[in-house]
Amino acid sequence: MSLIEIPVGPQHPALHEPIMLRVRADGERVVDVQVVTGYNHRGAEKLGERNTWSKDIFLYSRVCGICNTVHAQTYTQGVEAIGGIEVPPRAQYLRTLIMELERVHSHILIAAVMAEVVGFDSLFMLMMRDREPVMMLKELITGNRVLSDYYVLGGVRRDIDDVKKDKILKVLERVEERVKYYKKVFQEDFTISRRLRGVGVVKPADAIRSSLVGPTLRGSGVKSDVRADDPYAAYGEIPFNVITYSEGDSLSRMLVRFDETLESIEIIRYVLNHLPQGPITIKTAVRVLPPGEAYSRVEAPRGELFYHIVSRGGDKPYRVKVRTPSFHNIINGVIAYREANIADVPVILTSFDPCISCTERVLIIDEKSGSVKSLRLKDLSKGWLGGS
Amino acid sequence: MGLKLIGEVLSNLIRKSSTVEYPKQPPLALQEHRGRHYADLTKCIGCSLCALECPTNAITMNPLPRKLKQNPRGIYPIVEYGRCIFCYRCVEVCPVKAYITTNFFEMGSDKLGTSNDLSMSTLQGIE
Repeated sequence: MSLIEIPVGPQHPALHEPIMLRVRADGERVVDVQVVTGYNHRGAEKLGERNTWSKDIFLYSRVCGICNTVHAQTYTQGVEAIGGIEVPPRAQYLRTLIMELERVHSHILIAAVMAEVVGFDSLFMLMMRDREPVMMLKELITGNRVLSDYYVLGGVRRDIDDVKKDKILKVLERVEERVKYYKKVFQEDFTISRRLRGVGVVKPADAIRSSLVGPTLRGSGVKSDVRADDPYAAYGEIPFNVITYSEGDSLSRMLVRFDETLESIEIIRYVLNHLPQGPITIKTAVRVLPPGEAYSRVEAPRGELFYHIVSRGGDKPYRVKVRTPSFHNIINGVIAYREANIADVPVILTSFDPCISCTERVLIIDEKSGSVKSLRLKDLSKGWLGGS
Repeated sequence: MGLKLIGEVLSNLIRKSSTVEYPKQPPLALQEHRGRHYADLTKCIGCSLCALECPTNAITMNPLPRKLKQNPRGIYPIVEYGRCIFCYRCVEVCPVKAYITTNFFEMGSDKLGTSNDLSMSTLQGIE
């Protein structure tokens, strides 16, 4: 019996970013999937070693477009730990506010993309329309719809007043109503149910063994959330629930995101009503840090985001290691494709909420001999990584 | 449920459009939007902090065409908008708040513009 190999990507109608899934199939049934990355590598970790501490906030914000504030949060809280910088409480609350707004729009986005991938384009359009007010709120608070650039070492850059607070609360009321409606559509609609229910099941034990993180892990019934387990920013003072669904299929992963969106809206309301008074940033500028090392983790919309920052003194980091949630979910998530149909492959990938540019690493392994090859910057600049 | 969504879709036919006819109508950018910014040369003291702190090295310091009292070094910043990522780090670090900020974002062009002309216009009518 011979298996056929089908490449899904790097250019594929159902995928929005360049990644290749080498699907080995026996007829319609998927036997094995191999993930090939390397189309979007930008060398951000290396570049960070040449920039100063404060310039790197803007660099690491751009590792991921959608998750830019959580990247900035993880980096700055690590650097603040090395430098022993105390962040004012109002800044901590404002950071929480902007991260939760980001979670709301990220989760609505992936639900809309899922609707498009299953072929429900009118639902995609409606959800993208109702996501737009959230982007407007981000622009209102930070100055840009997507790349917020809201962080400085020791605080945030813009304050909010009562006029903005009232506007946020008013817009969120409408968003909450729409999210509840779309959740009902995902639960009850025949088309979506046929495409998502029972597709790409990950059992809890497999999810833990494969180090899956975020809504993908919680969709398999494992209660794990950095916001609750290891509170950062103002999460230690805010009551909220960790959402889990036990089915472990694509639908339960989407429903986790819908419930989290509603939970995020509650967190934003709590933050706005309990916003402490005081300064939003520290007075002194931070240029040089003492030698030290910090591990920093944050619950991004896609799962646990992790930074390892090493300082050897001076004004530049010695090493910044970035481990994004998509790295685990995309590469270790291959267990979910087994026994699925070929048409379900894009659906399962989308249910992991993939972010390709976060995932990119360069390590070239020769499949036949198993030898690992490292690349110099000069080789990388030639473009294609040698075809393996 | 399927029928319910059809009602939602059909109601869009009579609802006000969600998008704007952009070139004919003004864009939806808010006042808070981080758009084109340039140095006010009547305030700039030529300290070069913005050029040092710029994450993309988009700002260069250039000699002023004439002497200004508050600017002993005689240099002023030019922002190269093709390199700029509009993070507003320069606006934030400026000790005299010399940057004028706008929400103007329509800068798509085949030529890479700079802030030189706008900065020079702040000197008009000043001795």
